Amino acid sequence: MTQYQRADSDALDELVRRISPPLLRYFGGSRFGRNDAADLLQDCWIRIHRSRHTYRSSEPVMPWVYAIARHTGLDAYRKRRRLESREVLVASIPERLHRTMPAERREQDDFDRLVAGLPLSQREVLVMLKGSGMSLEEVAAATSSTVGAVKQKAHRAYITLRRALEKVRENAK
Amino acid sequence: MQNNPRDAGIRDAEIEDKLEAWAASQSDAELSPELQRKLRDMLASSFKPVKPVPAQSGLVLRFLCVFAAGAAGLIAIMSRIGLHLMTGAQIGWMIAALGGGAILFSLTLARQMVPGRRQRLPLSLVLGLSGVGTIAAITLNFPWRTSSAFVSEGWPCASMELMLAIPAAVVFWLLARRGALFASARLGATLAGLAVFMVLVPLQTQCMFQQAPHLLVWHGGMAAVLIGSAALVGEIQRHRWIS
Repeated sequence: MTQYQRADSDALDELVRRISPPLLRYFGGSRFGRNDAADLLQDCWIRIHRSRHTYRSSEPVMPWVYAIARHTGLDAYRKRRRLESREVLVASIPERLHRTMPAERREQDDFDRLVAGLPLSQREVLVMLKGSGMSLEEVAAATSSTVGAVKQKAHRAYITLRRALEKVRENAK
Repeated sequence: MQNNPRDAGIRDAEIEDKLEAWAASQSDAELSPELQRKLRDMLASSFKPVKPVPAQSGLVLRFLCVFAAGAAGLIAIMSRIGLHLMTGAQIGWMIAALGGGAILFSLTLARQMVPGRRQRLPLSLVLGLSGVGTIAAITLNFPWRTSSAFVSEGWPCASMELMLAIPAAVVFWLLARRGALFASARLGATLAGLAVFMVLVPLQTQCMFQQAPHLLVWHGGMAAVLIGSAALVGEIQRHRWIS
């Protein structure tokens, strides 16, 4: 990262190669679909590039990257909501058919949807903790909150998922 | 029907397993060589060496220097009648309260200049300490008298505070925007807090009504309104790129 600040092109290649996949996962796991994730990744990289002077070599890289990614995603989400509020639905999109899937895969598919339906703050904590393997401290730094708040969000996400999964199983019966 | 989900047999371990499977399914989001090349080309076009933002102590010192210079400059051009009306103890207490507030706001602003850095000094604590300190310094050291012209004596002070604090906040924002990249209620309140504390210094030295009710309502009240308004603006603009 320090070499990137010194305009080393090899460092740029290495960073793009290393940081982009977790960012793509982060944006893919957020409210945006995977198609939008690539656009968001580009937007995020522009912001990372423009703010590379704010990185300090004494600090870990990923919380810094995720803090920028988080704001990029939330800013885009807000813009999208504003646009969607002006749109008129002309036809409903059919639900994805997954009846032909094996039961185990179907349940995991349902679970993926439940995760996607979690509140944004809870889902982003899960994406960072589970998807990117960040520590509680790193997630707290990236989300400008405390370790306690991160634990609480993760705990709430678990409770919500457990209840929703139970409901799915009851309905299946 | 079982109300407790744990009784239904869904345990944390099962949720954990499903989350692992979910995380694994997310990890197939690989970066295509085409996208990688596009990113590299896009960034390489504006690739120059950059100077990292100074260390936190350097940033705090910079904010405090601007604070001191701004306060001194305003004292120099404004009336100093209030300074002659205050006792040595009152001057000392107000310097300690306002200077302490400036240090706290500078510390929290400097930490906000590195994205993803843990905030060890919560804004609520900064606001609480600086607010309580200033209120205590006023209530314990200034007389509790009010005149019949409380409002007509007070509003010029409040309006002057408003007129001076807004440009002062803009100056601090120009200093902070190199690192404070995104709007937030925290950033708005911090910038306004630092600006308001800077303006309270010359206001204290020029005010001829050195009584606790006047200082609390017209000086302190306007400070609270300004900090609250800036926090609200920050909240409305939340997550917006402002650098």
